[in-house]
Amino acid sequence: METIGLFFTEHFGWIQNPVVVARQMLAGISNGMLLFLISAGLSLIFGVSRIVNFAHGVLFMLGAYFALTIAGFGPESGLWFVLALIAGAVGLFAFGAAVEMALLRPLYQAAHEFQLLLTFALVFIVGDLVKLIWGREDHAVAVPGLLTGSTEAFGVTFPTYRMFLIVFGVLVAIALWWVLHRTRWGILVRAATMDRHMLGALGTNTKALFTGVFALGAALAGLGGALAAPIVAVGPGLHVQVIIDAFVVVVIGGMASVGGALVASLLVGIVNAFGVLAFPSAAVVLTFALMAFILIVRPWGLFGTPE
Amino acid sequence: MNRPSLLAIAILAAIALPLGLTDFWTFIAIEVLVFALYAVSFNLLLGYGGMLSFGHAAFFGVGGYTVAILVKHGGLPLAVAFPAALAMSAITAAIIGFFSVRRIGIYFAMLTFAFQMLLYTVALKATGLTGGDDGITGLKAAGALSKPIYYYWFALIIVIVALALMHRIVHSPFGMTLQALRGNPRRVEYVGINVRTHQLATFVLAGTIAGLAGAIFAISSGNVFPGWLNWTASATPIVMAVLGGFRTFIGPMVGAAVYVMLEVVISGHTEYWPLIMGVIIVVLVLMMPEGIMGMTRRIRDGKR
Repeated sequence: METIGLFFTEHFGWIQNPVVVARQMLAGISNGMLLFLISAGLSLIFGVSRIVNFAHGVLFMLGAYFALTIAGFGPESGLWFVLALIAGAVGLFAFGAAVEMALLRPLYQAAHEFQLLLTFALVFIVGDLVKLIWGREDHAVAVPGLLTGSTEAFGVTFPTYRMFLIVFGVLVAIALWWVLHRTRWGILVRAATMDRHMLGALGTNTKALFTGVFALGAALAGLGGALAAPIVAVGPGLHVQVIIDAFVVVVIGGMASVGGALVASLLVGIVNAFGVLAFPSAAVVLTFALMAFILIVRPWGLFGTPE
Repeated sequence: MNRPSLLAIAILAAIALPLGLTDFWTFIAIEVLVFALYAVSFNLLLGYGGMLSFGHAAFFGVGGYTVAILVKHGGLPLAVAFPAALAMSAITAAIIGFFSVRRIGIYFAMLTFAFQMLLYTVALKATGLTGGDDGITGLKAAGALSKPIYYYWFALIIVIVALALMHRIVHSPFGMTLQALRGNPRRVEYVGINVRTHQLATFVLAGTIAGLAGAIFAISSGNVFPGWLNWTASATPIVMAVLGGFRTFIGPMVGAAVYVMLEVVISGHTEYWPLIMGVIIVVLVLMMPEGIMGMTRRIRDGKR
């Protein structure tokens, strides 16, 4: 009994401290929101084109670098920070559209391995270009003045920027839902997810649709990178953990399900946040364990459909 | 010339090769052998089974780390460490395969990827056993094998035996079923064959051979690093197989040789080898999807 008690106090002693639990919960949710921006794009792209975009992590990283450069013009200035966010989203929208048209479009008819290899090649290329342009060292982006410091809620003080991330993530989720469910373009995207050949046969310009979806997915990743820039080290290794987490999220949530991506993102974000407290060196294993568990009970993911 | 005599010439050439090489190039030759074996083991999955694994480096890494840990921490001879590496990579492949072959296609690629990253994390965090970020260095074979040329011949024998075994398997009824499965899994299932068991058996075989390749390489390079298990490492066998042409048995070997030579030459001139490799992959995928073997075959057929 005594060893169990010791084990508990060593790994789970923090449970008795509501402030720590609340803070960690908030960190988990805000990280989950960032994760949602990435995995929603990954999921959308997969749904429409059946391509698993391994390069999604470097798109996120590129968004963070764009924000780094733009925010550098006015450190801690709110205006420049907004511009940095726009640069992340719009810059990656353009980059995504260009990549899709030049490189992926010829490959839609090819086997999976070629598509995967191509997105993999992008990881290598962008990963090295980033080193050439911004150098190998890590950079920091300042939190804009308005969002620095902390805010009190429920009797606990939280970092304001984390709160901002959550609010922003919710707004993006609502906007995405609105686009997908209340616009004609959204209907086409959902139709393509179900049966893209039928959609093409019915006279829709699927080429433009595919480009649009890829660009939107890239823009979401870029926006995520720009939002993450003030709370991460912006360096050439940034994309690695991001893409792994995003993959775990889409496997848990179910591929091609944006709602699933939201739920799974929050789940992974929260599990990671508390995992770090309980088992600092083995936190990553927890998300994988969660994924393995989901795969055993529901192989198609929480919100996916069995094939 | 018929095939057996071509094969005999190739083997003789491989035996004689290190006689004319410096130690540096002998190590490169060992690297070519290792990656040829690794790429062919990967191609059992992709080329024959139609299963795109994005985590094949997991087994290469497990084989390498097993040998490294046993030799370095346990002081055991290769005669014990190599079979142990085979066993460890087979067990790892059985566990990962059990979960992954549940979902073939894109899901399979992602699952194998995720499991490999899990092992990467273990290699990075279990510092007591794996040395963490620093890896395990200073590995050496005892006795005659510590000379590069003897180690080359030692590796050559293992690689030839393993390649012959795989060649035999893909042309056996098991291998034929595997190829039928690639074409139409549902139909194979209707004939009464257990598709999953077949895929799992192939996955374990491929993983075990990859572990063997990793074991050979751990001793020849003298060290293992977590980077062996990193996700970029899993692109290597895919690029090799596609570069050489994954529709043939020999293609991945050709791809491995070309890849290793390119890496040696290019990374000697620039630290941006990944960038150049990325560009090579893009050209490969868009311009010559059949790989080197496919190209040569087309040129030969065109001349006829």
